[in-house]
Amino acid sequence: MPEISGTDVKNLTVACDAGMGSSVMLTSQLKRRLGRYGVTVTHAPIASIPADAQVVLCHEGLAERARSVAPHAVVVPFRLFMGDPAFAALEKAIKDGGTIAG
Amino acid sequence: MSMTEMGQRQGSGWRQTVQTVGSHLAGMIMPNIGAIIAWGLLTALFIPTGWWPDKDLAVMVDPMLKYLIPLLVAYTGGRMVHGQRGAVVGAAATIGVIVGADIPMILGAMVMGPLAAYGQKKLDELTEHLKRPGFEMLIDNFSLGILGAVLAIAGYRGVGPVVSAASTAAGHGVDFLVDRSLLPLVSLFVEPGKVLFLNNAINHGVITPLATTEVSEAGKSILFMVETNPGPGLGVLIAFMLFGPRSMRPSVPGAVVIHFLGGIHEIYFPYILMKPKLIVGAIAGGASGLLTAIAVGAGLVATPAPGSIVAYLAVTPRGGHLGVLAAVLVATLVSFAVSSVLLGFGHGSNDLVDDPDADSAASGPATGPASGPVSAGSASRRPTTPGA
Repeated sequence: MPEISGTDVKNLTVACDAGMGSSVMLTSQLKRRLGRYGVTVTHAPIASIPADAQVVLCHEGLAERARSVAPHAVVVPFRLFMGDPAFAALEKAIKDGGTIAG
Repeated sequence: MSMTEMGQRQGSGWRQTVQTVGSHLAGMIMPNIGAIIAWGLLTALFIPTGWWPDKDLAVMVDPMLKYLIPLLVAYTGGRMVHGQRGAVVGAAATIGVIVGADIPMILGAMVMGPLAAYGQKKLDELTEHLKRPGFEMLIDNFSLGILGAVLAIAGYRGVGPVVSAASTAAGHGVDFLVDRSLLPLVSLFVEPGKVLFLNNAINHGVITPLATTEVSEAGKSILFMVETNPGPGLGVLIAFMLFGPRSMRPSVPGAVVIHFLGGIHEIYFPYILMKPKLIVGAIAGGASGLLTAIAVGAGLVATPAPGSIVAYLAVTPRGGHLGVLAAVLVATLVSFAVSSVLLGFGHGSNDLVDDPDADSAASGPATGPASGPVSAGSASRRPTTPGA
């Protein structure tokens, strides 16, 4: 399984089925939270996650597909679109340099 | 077996395949929704029964539906398969299907666009070895031009009539369901499909092409309301806000706003996945909304995407607002009532895993090989961190 240290994260891709709805919403929220640590947050449809994506954030129902599309990336699944513990944990890992595993 | 388990365990391979196919179909339509809405607005405004009937401006309505929208879909579908060259050959080939049929050929475009692009991809691989320096552009342009012309003829003579017949048959099937008030039964499949993230596949991959054709004949379509009604999700969310697990309640009001006004339906799926029995509330809401729409003859002129109440009212034809609002309201009330009963009106809902269904999904080896050794805290219920 790919893993990455929080301090090495330069980009985060939020993926959803169409890359137009929920991922855009989350992206605008996470940009504010993660931008200050120098992380670029973008959104994409699952089917076209960019090849250089380091960390992919998507709903757990889509995580398998994300893993098969982007085997090189660390896929972090979440359950809730708002206030999921995965978001806070991700921010903490990026801030303090913990390991993020997919 | 709960839906969560089904999604995660045995259904995983099946679900992934359906999601992938569905997202390809939806992916051809979704980037073009803006154009469909532009067409829907022009239709609602300027046709003889519209807000400001205008014969002169109304001449745009027909070509936009017959040519622009299918060509955009074909272009997008082609691009998904073979980049810019796939997009161009897909659009060129689809013109044959379009003129070969007397109905708007969105379905035909969804077949022909990617098919032509796939052909071009193979042809490009073939001609790769033949290219002498300086002749690349000549070969590239003429291989695409010739293939586009050949496929346009094939589409005109062969594919067009077949897809046309298939579209007509599908249309008759829909008429049959509407005439006998059986349409609400589709909620049995649509609502569970939605929360398994097949929402775009169902709505844009299947319904939008059929419904757009119906609008060109009847001026509106009830089909646009099948998957997009924000009522069922709203009912579930309100029930969750009042009677759901206490620790979850604070997050719901924000979700209500994003769902109902923003139209991002995905936001309510996790609440149902957490309490799978609530799907019954969503199905009841969806079905009763459709029954109401049939009863009052409601319909929309274009796809309300995203499924926000604002988008709903914007694509409602003149004189149809009461009916459309009734369908949303009834769906909300029924979904709320059923979901509230299912949540036992909040009795014994102090923690998350009070629900037998949800419990078995969370505590058993249910996450299984499908979701793998998930390290972030979301697949299990523990508030663990992603490895931090």
